[in-house]
Amino acid sequence: MSIPGVFYITFLLRDIRTPSWRPWILRKQQFSLPGVPLLQAAGKNSSFNLLGLTEAELKEQFVRGDGPGGQATNKTNNCVVLKHIPSGIVVKCHQTRSVEQNRKIAREILQEKVDLFYRGEDSDVFKEKKASEKKKQEKKRKAKENLERKKHFKEICPRRVRETFVIISIHSFQTNR
Amino acid sequence: MRCLTHPLLRRLLGLSPLCLPGGVSQNKGPILSPKWLPLRQSCSARPGLVTATDVVNYWQKVFEASGIPEARESSEYIVSFVLGAKTFQSLNSKSLYTPLTAVQQEQIQQLSIKRLERMPVQYVLGEWDFQDLTLKMRPPVFIPRPETEDLVSLVLEEESRKCEKNSGLCFPVPVPHPVILEIGCGSGAIALSLLCKLPQSRVIAVDKKEAAVDLTRENAHRLLWLRAGSDSFSFLGSAKQLLFWGPIDFIVSNPPYVFHEDMACLDTEILRYEDLDALDGGDDGMRVIKTILALAPSLLKDSGSVFLEVDPRHPDMVENWLQVHPNLLLVLRAIHKDFCGIALSPL
Repeated sequence: MSIPGVFYITFLLRDIRTPSWRPWILRKQQFSLPGVPLLQAAGKNSSFNLLGLTEAELKEQFVRGDGPGGQATNKTNNCVVLKHIPSGIVVKCHQTRSVEQNRKIAREILQEKVDLFYRGEDSDVFKEKKASEKKKQEKKRKAKENLERKKHFKEICPRRVRETFVIISIHSFQTNR
Repeated sequence: MRCLTHPLLRRLLGLSPLCLPGGVSQNKGPILSPKWLPLRQSCSARPGLVTATDVVNYWQKVFEASGIPEARESSEYIVSFVLGAKTFQSLNSKSLYTPLTAVQQEQIQQLSIKRLERMPVQYVLGEWDFQDLTLKMRPPVFIPRPETEDLVSLVLEEESRKCEKNSGLCFPVPVPHPVILEIGCGSGAIALSLLCKLPQSRVIAVDKKEAAVDLTRENAHRLLWLRAGSDSFSFLGSAKQLLFWGPIDFIVSNPPYVFHEDMACLDTEILRYEDLDALDGGDDGMRVIKTILALAPSLLKDSGSVFLEVDPRHPDMVENWLQVHPNLLLVLRAIHKDFCGIALSPL
């Protein structure tokens, strides 16, 4: 059948390199599966062992404008406000200009905060924070030590003042008689 | 705009006529006085120096006074953009309190002037994000809406579900190379997102307007890892030519679906700058939807699907229409109410 109007086929896009992508499922439909843990391998939290959050425990709020949504509006407010109902912790995320990305990041941040809330010092988040604080302090201490060492070295080995030499040459005017 | 130099407005905003450092004076914009730019010295560190926060607050007030919607958001996006960040929240605290250079202030002013003309922020900045991609934006090519990100996610879920099904077989199945057709590609948001996430796929992006095709091509080339394995040509003719790459796994579209009678109520930003053909779906908003559905059976594989973003009123209408056109052998499989998308597949 022919299409009314002109269609321009733009192009066939063929990728050469394969960027890695981890499937990350987050659908509101999963309300029906309250036991299903989410955020198993979500971004940077994959190296931590954190308490899983289910969508049923979360309440999400993001402004998409009143009235007809979708095409009919062009709202740019992509801020996501995410609440963990059991603990009452709220995260507000407006790190990017994409709603999907903000939702993702909000969940990562919320998962960390919730884990910290329930596990306290046992939380990987807490341990990581402590470890990085320790590193920072260690770095500071070493830098201070180095500075002290340099100062001390200067005191015991003052720089020698360079002496200026003047060379004179004395010629003999003795002649062979 | 006309009101900015009005003495009453200046008093209303509590603005004191403090000069901005630097060469703002060259600007002979239609709105602002060429001599000076009043700026309230509220939380600025030192006299004569303005921080990002100061400037955001200032332009927010200017936008509000001129009736610009999303005054705060617009101001934040513009200032963040000039400072090289995506959003205000993503700026570190150092940037927030570092004084802005004269050049930066001038850039912010130029962009804000466009916003004062009700230009959508995405066109003002010339770019916007869709999922994890940053795409170039240019009027009048349709700006991708946040809801459409959900459409892409749904297609990806369906694709992975298909893969799982295949791998459940007891013999090895070659890795699928889904063929995806996007109808009405606009800036290329959907097509390029899908291609990024499904690098083995083949994506055909189609649009009625040359400006959209050009912008999609530009965005594809900007995503550097997409090599120039792209062919481009134009034609007038039969849909069968789309089958050059074989029967299609997914047809995806965010077609124009606004009811014609609702067009006049759209925001000024949309009416003034976007291509209205990308929005107007005819009397029942179904004109292009019907065309796609009529086209689908001759293009789709038996296991293929059509994913459409539609108006909340459309799922029922589509179902009724399909019942009246049983020859199409399409069935409405799912309605995703989050953003109102529908998935259809051949019977």
